[in-house]
Formats: sequence, structure tokens, C-alpha cells
Amino acid sequence: MSKLIRFALLYAGIAAAAPPSGVAIRNARIVTVAGPTIEKGVVIVRGGLIEQVGADLSIPADVWTIDGQGLTVYPGLIDALSTIGLPDAAPAAAPAGRAGAGRPTAIAPATGAPGAAATPPARGPEDRPSTTSWQNAADLAQPTDRRIETFRNGGFTSVGAFPMRGIFAGQGALLNLAGDKAGQMVIASPLGQYITLASSGFSGGFPGSLMGAIAYIRQVYIDADQYKAAKALYAKNPRGLTRPDYDRALEGVLESPRALLPASRAVEIARMIRFGEELKQPFILYGLNEGYRSADLLKQAGAPVLVSLKWPEKTRDGDPEEVETLRALETRASAPGTPAALARAGVMFAFYTDGVATPRDVMKAVRKAIDAGLTQDDAVRAMTLSAAKIYGLEDRLGSVEKGKIANLVVTKGDLFQDKTEVKYVFVDGQKFEPAEETPAPPSRQRETQ
Amino acid sequence: MKHLCAILFSVAAIAAPPTVIRNATILTITKGVVKNGSIVIRDGKIAEVGENVSVPEGAQVIDAAGQFVMPGMIDAHSHITAESVNEGSVSVSSMVGVDDVLNPEDIALYRALAGGVTTLSIMHGSANAIGGKCIVIKARWGKDAPGIVFEGAMPVIKFALGENPKRSGGTPVAQGGRGRYPATRMGVEDVFREAFTEAKNYQAEWREYNEKIKRGENAIAPHRDLKLEPLVEVLEGKRYVHAHGYRSDEMLMLLKVSDEFGFKIRFFVHGLEGYKIAKELAAHDVGVSTFSDWWSYKVEAYDAIPYNAALLMKKGVLVSLNSDDAELMRHMNQEAAKTVKYGGLTETEALSLVTINPAKQLGVDKQVGSIEAGKDADLVIFDKHPLSNYAKVQKVLIDGTVYFDRDKEQSELSKKDARKKALIDKEKQQQQQESPRRPGAARRPS
Amino acid sequence: MNRFAVALMLAWPLLAASNDTFLLKNVTVHPVTGPDIANGMILVENGRIAEVGPKVAAKGARVVDGKGLHAYPGMIDSATQVGLAEISSVRETVDTNELGDFNPQLRALVAVNPESEHLPVVRANGITTVMTLPFQAGGGGMRGGASTTLIAGQGALIHLDGWTWEDLEVRRGAAMQLVFPSLETRSFRMESMSMARTPFAEVKAAYEKRLKDLTEFFEEARRYQQAKKGGAPGFQPDLKFEAMLPVLEGKMPVMVLAARERAIRDAIQFADKQKIRIVIAGAREYGKTLADLKAKGIPVVASPTLELPLNEDDPYDSAYTVPAELYKAGVKFAFATFNVQFARNLPYQAATAVAFGLPYQEALKALTVNPAEIWGVSDQIGSIDKGKWADLMLTDGDPLEARTQIKALYIKGKQVELTNRHTKLFEKYMNRP
Repeated sequence: MSKLIRFALLYAGIAAAAPPSGVAIRNARIVTVAGPTIEKGVVIVRGGLIEQVGADLSIPADVWTIDGQGLTVYPGLIDALSTIGLPDAAPAAAPAGRAGAGRPTAIAPATGAPGAAATPPARGPEDRPSTTSWQNAADLAQPTDRRIETFRNGGFTSVGAFPMRGIFAGQGALLNLAGDKAGQMVIASPLGQYITLASSGFSGGFPGSLMGAIAYIRQVYIDADQYKAAKALYAKNPRGLTRPDYDRALEGVLESPRALLPASRAVEIARMIRFGEELKQPFILYGLNEGYRSADLLKQAGAPVLVSLKWPEKTRDGDPEEVETLRALETRASAPGTPAALARAGVMFAFYTDGVATPRDVMKAVRKAIDAGLTQDDAVRAMTLSAAKIYGLEDRLGSVEKGKIANLVVTKGDLFQDKTEVKYVFVDGQKFEPAEETPAPPSRQRETQ
Repeated sequence: MKHLCAILFSVAAIAAPPTVIRNATILTITKGVVKNGSIVIRDGKIAEVGENVSVPEGAQVIDAAGQFVMPGMIDAHSHITAESVNEGSVSVSSMVGVDDVLNPEDIALYRALAGGVTTLSIMHGSANAIGGKCIVIKARWGKDAPGIVFEGAMPVIKFALGENPKRSGGTPVAQGGRGRYPATRMGVEDVFREAFTEAKNYQAEWREYNEKIKRGENAIAPHRDLKLEPLVEVLEGKRYVHAHGYRSDEMLMLLKVSDEFGFKIRFFVHGLEGYKIAKELAAHDVGVSTFSDWWSYKVEAYDAIPYNAALLMKKGVLVSLNSDDAELMRHMNQEAAKTVKYGGLTETEALSLVTINPAKQLGVDKQVGSIEAGKDADLVIFDKHPLSNYAKVQKVLIDGTVYFDRDKEQSELSKKDARKKALIDKEKQQQQQESPRRPGAARRPS
Repeated sequence: MNRFAVALMLAWPLLAASNDTFLLKNVTVHPVTGPDIANGMILVENGRIAEVGPKVAAKGARVVDGKGLHAYPGMIDSATQVGLAEISSVRETVDTNELGDFNPQLRALVAVNPESEHLPVVRANGITTVMTLPFQAGGGGMRGGASTTLIAGQGALIHLDGWTWEDLEVRRGAAMQLVFPSLETRSFRMESMSMARTPFAEVKAAYEKRLKDLTEFFEEARRYQQAKKGGAPGFQPDLKFEAMLPVLEGKMPVMVLAARERAIRDAIQFADKQKIRIVIAGAREYGKTLADLKAKGIPVVASPTLELPLNEDDPYDSAYTVPAELYKAGVKFAFATFNVQFARNLPYQAATAVAFGLPYQEALKALTVNPAEIWGVSDQIGSIDKGKWADLMLTDGDPLEARTQIKALYIKGKQVELTNRHTKLFEKYMNRP
């Protein structure tokens, strides 16, 4: 018997004499994700954990009971790549290497401000341009972010939150979408290093191009490798050796267990697989608009991917006489087929919301993937257990299993139905009842992200 | 994975039947003209060329009666398929390489193919004195990025002289510029000398370290510098230098710098005033890859003459014509024809400017650049003599595979149009289906 | 270069310079307007063609034996900046693109530098006349784009030989150049080196505003015309409106730079409303406007043939086939390079059009007689016909082929040098010890 369960039982025993200390949902359909779905069963939540799950469970006397008749219990949804919880780190970078996006304003003072000294343009990799690899979402988290409630009401219980500005933007943390203090939100950290291919364009410092950004990342990983070796060598026997300089950029890279690399088009996916393999570090690709063309390649590479739920859309304010390229039409028609293609090929994938502003729109986007062939089960998995697995957290999150963190969403109706109501959300065992549907913020806000 | 591909590829090649091009006028470039000849292709290579060649059993036959076959053309200066061209932020950007950003789906690659170009050197731009690494590719339309790379081609780095490197950052910060050194041709020379001084130190540092390790001493490896590594390769003769230059003085300067540091310039790109220093170029065994007739678009191109290629050839310099342009590359044969007019080159000499000469310059002349047994079957079939301005490319083969066929162009286009129409219609239908649902939005609390 | 060519180049001008009267014999004459004459003769008197035929009497004129050569009318480039722009990247040497939206009073002719190195370079390839224009869009083309100009000024048709711009003139004010407003949602941004998108509503509003400005300018010019005619009290001359009078009277065509179908459609509509004569220039796609152009007799200055397809999905040869499409639609058109440094390559634009479907004879016409007609000077130049200027090129073959050499060139009957900056530098450095 694991320590955890023993602890839970002990806890239950003590609690028996006290007022109700847990919640039991009974008569509910339970989509466990880890195992078969229980058509009528019980989930008992206590002490922030799932205490018991099963079809025939006796419900202890010391818990509140919820009648789950007509309700379905899912694991809480995970947005695998997000800035929710990091209100000051909203994404500035497009997912793929588009010039000009995502310069870290945090480390480069605004040049327009009167009297502000302009940062000299970077002369090369040695100046560590666009790098805040040491930043950690766990340190940046703020429970005051209004999106926390919006998304929690829609069934999201956790996010993989990452700083997103710059080339080495920083380290992610898995945050729960509840808690009074930032520290309570953090489930795990660091998840990995969020990397973009942002460049300064034609008039800034290094790197000024896509290939410059790639070369920079390559140099940093080489430097990190060497830094690690030099530090180890020095630690072993400092005598007669010059002390290696402390480099916080490299420390940040070395602390990160995996690299998140941007790849939307098929060409970028192939390119980033090659690049990731070269970096000799576990890597995850994010974006994947054209993932439907690259499923086999991804399967071969064995790299997990995060699929953006912002499907490409027709430009709304385009020229009515302009005929789009076949490429653009094809991508738009086929992008929602990416998850199905990945599932068929056996590629590990999770979803991320990529700035889609409301949970309702997120679900709509998932439905598009289902319409394009993704099974409901795979869709649920992509938003729960797979996300946890990709970050190595499946031991505590992502399914309705005994002993896991009690992150649950209870719905009336299938998760992805248009009319589905979210009745309860549990985060760390804490129950939330989304009262009214939160109205969508004005659409303008969506565009500015 | 690479190995697996290689095996699969070779299996497929062995299984494929030989191909024979028959009844053609064959412009071999290096071995004269074969009238009414045949070319046998096996496993992607030219197996036999001649008038009396027997057609192997089961061979796939391409009848080229009345048509002309020449080697696939080679463009020694191109930027197609590169998703970025210039790392112009610094005056030494040898850490970057266009090989990292190839997009084999760039439609320009197909257009190159349709113009009879089969090999291209994809170069870094000329914004800085020491630019980035370049890559030689084949126009294997439909393959992925590793699939278009020309295996076995020498690694290359781009250098640049004159107006571009001095302009790209030369404006002082006070005047709203970047203030990037250098702003003069003097400064451009200095960038080279500084960089190669640094590279030599770097080379020595590694040598010292390697010796220490050999002696079993405790040593921390020197910092691996991706900027200096390619320059060391240049010093060690493992990487070609292709240097962008216009004026004779600046090219002469680089020749002297290369003498001083003991490396070689493989060829000058543009080299528009190469004709003024043909003697020095020939003595240094340095080639020129130039335009047929560009001039006057900037000051350093004011002395450019369309006789450049012919004069250089006559004076013993290895010379080729290049495009540096996604349109010009589509008729390199016509560009070659201009050297018959300007300087009186023979037809074979003219065609060598876009075939065997650039192959030599890129170090791929063992594989491509002429129609000879043993070489890659990279071939272009024209309906007329390729030096005629009326000649149209009919078929293009790379490694023996037909990659462009004008006869199939129309049906491919129709297919594309049909697919496009279907997608547009489907989207319209979906929109119509969705719009009646719109009133449902009223269900939302207002 | 073979000896024969050098001999011709050097010797003939010396012989001929003193006298613009001679009989050219033993040449294959390609009059363009009529059938070829093998072994024909051309009598030139005082710079003009006096007679053409299989047998022409010398009437005492000096006889020039052109044995084995072909005589063609000199070619005409219908859109360039030759003489106005020397080194395109150096503003000081470029006299195109004046400030302001409405500059009908500007005359290209007065800014033509007769000593420009481009004149002898371009004519060495058989081009004797060009339309030089006051406006050039960035990037070498002149096809609309994000322009700050609407009416750019008056283009001049000039010969490529003369001591002064007065000598060069074939026809000043041969056309009023109008840069038609364009409606592009996508534009290239230099700062980011990438394409940027502007909402359609925004560009449409800007486009309509430009179109309104243009219409108002024309209406004002018309009011000016009325006021002048009616001798209105207090009438004061205005140079801009004065320059518009020949346009309003239909005496001067308006050369409209319009790249795409929509711009052509709107330009035709505009011309109908304003009752002006237009020539569409530099278009890349005509779409459904071809029938209209044919019906209304609007001629076209074709965009260069050797260009990239406009759109990714277009056939690779879509630019190559445009002249053939114009011909099939029955639209009269002329070739042009829209360029300075490549003006000498004019005949190769035509050759590619022939390779991709244009009948050869039509290609020749579009280099000679068509532009002469379009610019209203067909009584002066454009074919080898009696009464026209003796603008002739003698070649050793088809002038549309790059391998063909131009052996001699006559402008207004005067044999002009084929040497130029390029031949001189070639010779100098060929002889470098």
C-alpha cells in the first residue's frame, strides 16, 4: 500500500468524528480516462485527493453527497500551454518563427521612453539576446488573473503556464486554477523551456533572422552542455582550473527538463524535429496546424506535441476578389484533422488553447477536431491524461484515479456538446459551482492577444 | 532514420527499370554534340551516351526526336527556398546557415525546375562582410528538406564586399541607423582581418587543448564557437568561400587578405568588374560567377559590361552565369546565349557557363554539369536548341527521375483547380450550414 | 566578336555620317507592314525612306552593300526611363517621380540627358526609339503599387541619337502618364522584411478617396477648359489644367498603369466617364476586361513577358502567355521593358511570347508598327515604308534571338555608332597587358 493511500485512510479515520470533510459524487457516469468508463459509480474526494473511485462503493458518513444522476465526471481539463495565471506574460509571439514577434519587453527597456537609454543591439549569441530562460512561471504566478475563473468555470482545472516572450522565454509550471496564494497553485515546476524563433527583423540586433534565431539556440545549447561539464570538472578538482563564470541564461536552460519548440507548417515540423534531435534534449513541438501532414514523421521521431486549438481561419477583412492559394485553403480545411491523424498514428498529443478567449470557443474548436474524425475518448484524453503524461505528471494528474489530485469536472451532458452545462468543478478537492455562464469578453480582446 | 531512407531509396532505384532518351541531339558540353543519339539511364546515373546505343530490355523510352538534351542547368547563386536570407544584424554572421531554413515547398523550386535548372547554390545574402553558411540543393520538387540537399557538395560560406556590407549598418546611431561597423571598404577589409585573426587564435586554442588532453592533463575545453568554426574550416580548406564583390579593387583586396591568412576564395559572385583583374583572378585560380548583362542599378555596377563572362573565359578564369533572382533563373539558357552576342563565345562555351563551370565552382563536377557516363542523370530536354530564345523546356530529369513534364502540366493544373474549387465550395457550404444556426446564439443570456 | 562586325561598326559611320542619302542593297527587307523582300533595296533620302523594293534606282546616291544582312525597322520600347535615370540607386542621377499627386504639366523630354550612357547601350541592340516616362514604381516595374502619384506627367517618345533633347524628340507629350490607384490588401514592409495585411475596408476607402480625387481633378480641368473657351471674366491661366487640355480634347492619350483586372475595369469605366483616350500599361492579368479592351479599341502596353507568375498557384508560364492572350483577344498591344538597364533586352521579351503562342509576325509588329500607331507616329516610324524616318537595323539574323548580331543601325537615316560604354571597357580590358 502506498504511503499516499495510507495517509488518506488515516486522514479519513480521523475525520470520521468531525463534520463532513469530503465530497462523494454518486450515481454518476465516470470517465476515468485511465481505465474503462464507469457507467454508474462513485467518486470520493477528500483532502484534495481522489480517495476512492468505483462502481460499488459504500459512501462514508462523514462526506457531503452529490447526486450525480445524469451527470458525468471527467478529470479536470488541462490547457497544456498557456499564460493563464501569468497576467503579465500574455503571449506576444506567434507560434512559428515569424519575424518581429515576441521580443522580450521585460528585459529591453522601451526605447521610446524619454530619457531611457536604448539597449545596445545584441552583437551575437554571447549577449544572450531575447533570453529570460531563468524566469519561472511558478515564481510569476498570480491568483488574481481573471482568466482563471473564466476557464475554471468552463471545466479547466490546470494549465501548463509559460512565460512566452523572447527566444528563451522561460520555464513553465503546471498551475492549478484555484488558490489564494500563488504557491498553492503550483503543481510542478519547471515543466520545460518555452522557445520561440523570434527575431528582430532587419533593423535590430542579433538575431535578425529565422536562421539567426536557430543558430542562437544551437549555440546556447552547446554552451550549456559545456558549462555543465566545466562546472562538474571544476567541482571535482578546482586546483589549477579557471573558475567557469556563472551564466544565468545557461542555468535556466539546464534547469529545464525539456524544450518546447514552435512548429506549425509541415516544413517547420520536419525542421524542428531535426533541430530537437540535434539538441540532445527531450523536446515537445507546439503549434501543429499542418500536423495532419506530418503524423508519421512525428510518430517516428517519438516527440510529443501540443496542438493549438486556434484553427486557421479565413481572413475576415480580406479582399473579396482575391483568390486564396490552394495551400491556404488546404490547411484551413485540414488543420482540424490533425488530432485525428495524430491519434491514428499513435502520436502523443495534447491540446492548448492558444489565446482562444473562452472555454465555449475552446469546446467548439475541439468539436471541429471531432467532426474531422477524432474520437470523443481521444479528445478527452488530449485534454487530460496526455497533457499530464507529456509533462511527466501522470502519477498525480490527468485521470480519475484513486490517489490523484482531485481535479474534476462534472457536467450535465457530454463534455463537447454545445448545450453541455458544467455543474461542478473540483480543483485540489475544492468544489466550485459555475453559477451563470461567464459572458464572453468582447471579441476585440481576442484579437489583441 | 537517414539510413533507412537511404536503403529504401536504393532498393527502389535498383528495382526501377532503366530509362532511355532516344533520337535526341545531345549537347554533352564536355564531349561534343551527339546528333541523333541516345542516353541510357540506370539507377539514376547516366550509363551510356552515344549514337549507337542499344536499348536495354524493359527500358522506359523517352522519344526526343527533333529535340535537344543538355545537362541540367546549375545556378551558382540563388536564394529560393531559403526562409531567411540575411542575418544582417552583425558584420560576422558565420554562425548562421540557410541550410537550417530550407523550405522545399517554395513554389520557386518548381519554377526553377520548369526552367531547366536542376542544381542551385542557396546562398546567404550580402548584408555583411562574413555572411552565413550556404547549401547546394537539387530541384527535387516534392522531397523534404534533407531530400533536396545535394549530397557530397562542399560546405560553403558567403562573404561580401562593397556597398552592401558597408551600407547595411553603416549609418550612425545618431542618424537613426544601427551604427554597425563597417561603413567603408577599408572597414570591410578590417572585418576580415579581425575575424581571421580571431579564428586563428581559436584554432590554436583548440590545438593546445587537444594536446593537453593527449598528454593526460586536466583541462577544460575551450568555448565552442559556432561563429569561428566555419572560419577555421575555411583556413583548413574544408569550406569554400563564395564572395560577393563588384569592384575590382575590393576583389583584389580580398585576394590579398586570403593570401595573408592562407585561405582560398573559390569564386566571386557578381564579380561585375572581374574583367578588370582577369590576370590576378587567373593567377589565384579564383573563379567568377556573374550576371549576363546587369548594370547601372547602383554605383558599383556602373562599370559592369555584358562582355564580362566572355572576357574572363578568354583570359583563363573559371566563370559561370548565375541568377540571384527567382525569375532570371527560369531562363539561364537565354542568359548564356547573350555571351555569344557579347564576346563571341562558341555555343558549347556559352552553355558551359550554366553547366560544367558552375559545377566545378561548387565542387560537384564529378556528379553533374555534363552528359557523361557515370554522372547523375540530371537532364533537360528542349524542343529547340537551348541557346534559342524560342526554346521551351519539355522535360527535366533529376537522378533519372522525371520531375517536370510540360505535357503533364495542363492536367496537373486542372487537378489543382478542381481541388481548389472543391475546397472553396465546401467552405461556402459549411458557412451556409452554420449561418441558420446563428439565431441559436440568442439562447445565450444577453 | 568577329572581324566583319568590327569592320562594319568602325568603317560605316565614317562613310555615312556626312550624308543621310544612300541606297541599301542586297538585304532581306522586313518592312513588317508587308511581305519580306528577299534581296531587296532601300533608298534613303535626307533621312527618310524614299523607296523600298526588289529593285530601286540609286538616283546617284551612295550605294551600301548589305550582303547577307537583314533590314528591320528599328524597335520601339513603349515604357522606359532611358535618359531620365542613370544609376537607379543614386537619387541624384534619377529624374523620375516628382513630388505631388497631380503633375500633368511635367514634361519628361526636358529632363532627358542626351549624353546618358544608356542611349548608346540600348540602341546597340536595335532599339531606335523609346517612350521615356516621368514615373517609375519601386522595384524596377511601373505597375501602380503603393504610389504617391496619380498624374505623373507627360511621357516623351525619343530617338536614341542626338546632340540635344530637341534632336531626340519624336513626339513630346506622346502620352499623359496616369498611375491608377491600386487596391492591395497586402504590402511589403521594409522594417520587418515581410508582407503585411491591411483590412480590405481600409484600403477600399483609401482607393475610393484616390479615385474621387482623380475624378475631381479631371472635372476641375474641364471647368477650366469651359472657362477658357467661354472667355470667363477673371480667367487666369493654370499650367496644370492647361496641360490637361490635350487630354480632354482627346489629342493626347493617357497611359494608365494598372496591374490587375479590377484596376483595368475601373480605368475603363473612368475613361468612359471622362471621355478620354487611354492606353492600359503594365497589366499582369486582364481577366474579363479583354473583351472590353477589344470592343472599345483600347490598346495595351504589355507588361514584360519574362516575369514571375502573379500568384503561387498560377501556371509557371502565366506571364509568358499574356501577349498571346492579348493577340487572341484582338487587342492591339506593344512590348515594353518598363526598365532602364534591361531596355536593351526588349526583343527577348517578344521572343518568349512567341515561344509561348504569339505568332512571330505579331511579335515583330508589337515591337515596331503597333507602338508607332499607339503613340500616333505611324507616319514617322515603325516600319520600312516610304516617307518614314529611316530608322533601320541591319542584322545577321532574327533580331529576337540573343545570338543575332546587330551589324549596323540607322536613326533618321544617319548611321549611328554601335560602340558604347560597354564595348569600350571591353576593348580596353581585353587589351590589358
